[in-house]
Amino acid sequence: MSDETLLTHHVLEMRGVSKLYSGRAVLDRLTLCVPRGTVVGLLGKNGAGKTTLLRAALGIARIDHGTVTILDEPAWTLSASAKQQIGYVPQSPQLYPWMRVDQIIAYTASFYLHWNRALVERLVTQWEVPLRRRAGTLSVGELQKLALVLALGHEPALLVLDEPVAALDPSARREFLKVVLEIAAGGERTEIFSTHITSDLERVADRVAILQRGAISFFGELGELKDQVKRLAITSTNSLPEQFSLPGQISQRIEGKQALVTTRAWSPGMAGEIESQWHAEVEVQDLNLEEIFLELHDA
Amino acid sequence: MAADFLFQVFPTSGLPIYRQLVDQVRRHVASGRITSGDFLPSVRQVALELEVNAMTVSKAYSLLERDGVVELVRGHGMRIAKRLPASDTLEERQRQLAPLVEQLLAEAYQLSLSPTQVQNLLARAIKERNGK
Repeated sequence: MSDETLLTHHVLEMRGVSKLYSGRAVLDRLTLCVPRGTVVGLLGKNGAGKTTLLRAALGIARIDHGTVTILDEPAWTLSASAKQQIGYVPQSPQLYPWMRVDQIIAYTASFYLHWNRALVERLVTQWEVPLRRRAGTLSVGELQKLALVLALGHEPALLVLDEPVAALDPSARREFLKVVLEIAAGGERTEIFSTHITSDLERVADRVAILQRGAISFFGELGELKDQVKRLAITSTNSLPEQFSLPGQISQRIEGKQALVTTRAWSPGMAGEIESQWHAEVEVQDLNLEEIFLELHDA
Repeated sequence: MAADFLFQVFPTSGLPIYRQLVDQVRRHVASGRITSGDFLPSVRQVALELEVNAMTVSKAYSLLERDGVVELVRGHGMRIAKRLPASDTLEERQRQLAPLVEQLLAEAYQLSLSPTQVQNLLARAIKERNGK
């Protein structure tokens, strides 16, 4: 039992959300509730609808069905004070190309009641954001760093990042992940970021949401996911059945006396049962997030 | 003690990070690298130094506390407990060690070591440990 049931306070609640694009449901009766103080990694293939999900969550994209509540308000009619509590970095940030970076920072700061000048200065130095250049001359990576700085300056209660590290080099990526962790360490603030880079997610996220076919196919603690999904290498002295039907089975490959079966409902008793039923030896293999992701998608 | 002296995590391993931390603390206690009365670095410190999520660290610590390996000292943090609890049955504890024995034997086979040579190796290691 995870703490979701005890933690009634969600920063974001999406219930039965559908979003159609020219008749096709990109989000299909999707439900996702994010508890306060968590770092959620949103994982999905390219085109799975991660951006649409985040935009619907923030009330930027209008949904066709369902409800979205963010910081206790309906997303579509978010108040100005709620917006003060949210930081968002879209996948391709649009900034004023004719303005100098330091001007953009000052301009953005003027919209917020609270602005942490020291934090912004630190990040600008650390990430080598060129203050005197015009935004139009920045590389994709520099632009992404600038957008991150702008989204962090007002120290939002909820930070939403769409593929935040896609354009960053490895060292900037590590720096960025450090900032994500620092923000999370306080325990008060919530972060949701989408990615298709599973290794980043494994380090910083405490929860993972997997988006598949327009709905969330798994949402929970990352450690729990790794505890639950296991691949079983089964070797028997006798022949094996044509089909295994284990609880939570995702995939199976059987060749003569050997089989590889993946389950998402692993329990320690399972190996013993298989061993006695099929006169087999069972080796339990741990899977990392990338392998789990692939297994779930191949299923 | 700095967190990265004590722990080494592999985020992309199939073993959840919280389990890696639990295992490493248990191993350090078993090897005498940390002893009863020592304090573990704070959750925050471990999270920032190892660059992993704080909730993951805190989950590991609460499991260690539940199992009696560490105890929470209010205002000071997690301290390695006085004596390791032997609540599990002998069979259960042997079962926990079985995978390592299995691995040891497999490696020994690869290295063409005879059963006697493996036994001698173990005996010597145990003797050295007790002589410490």
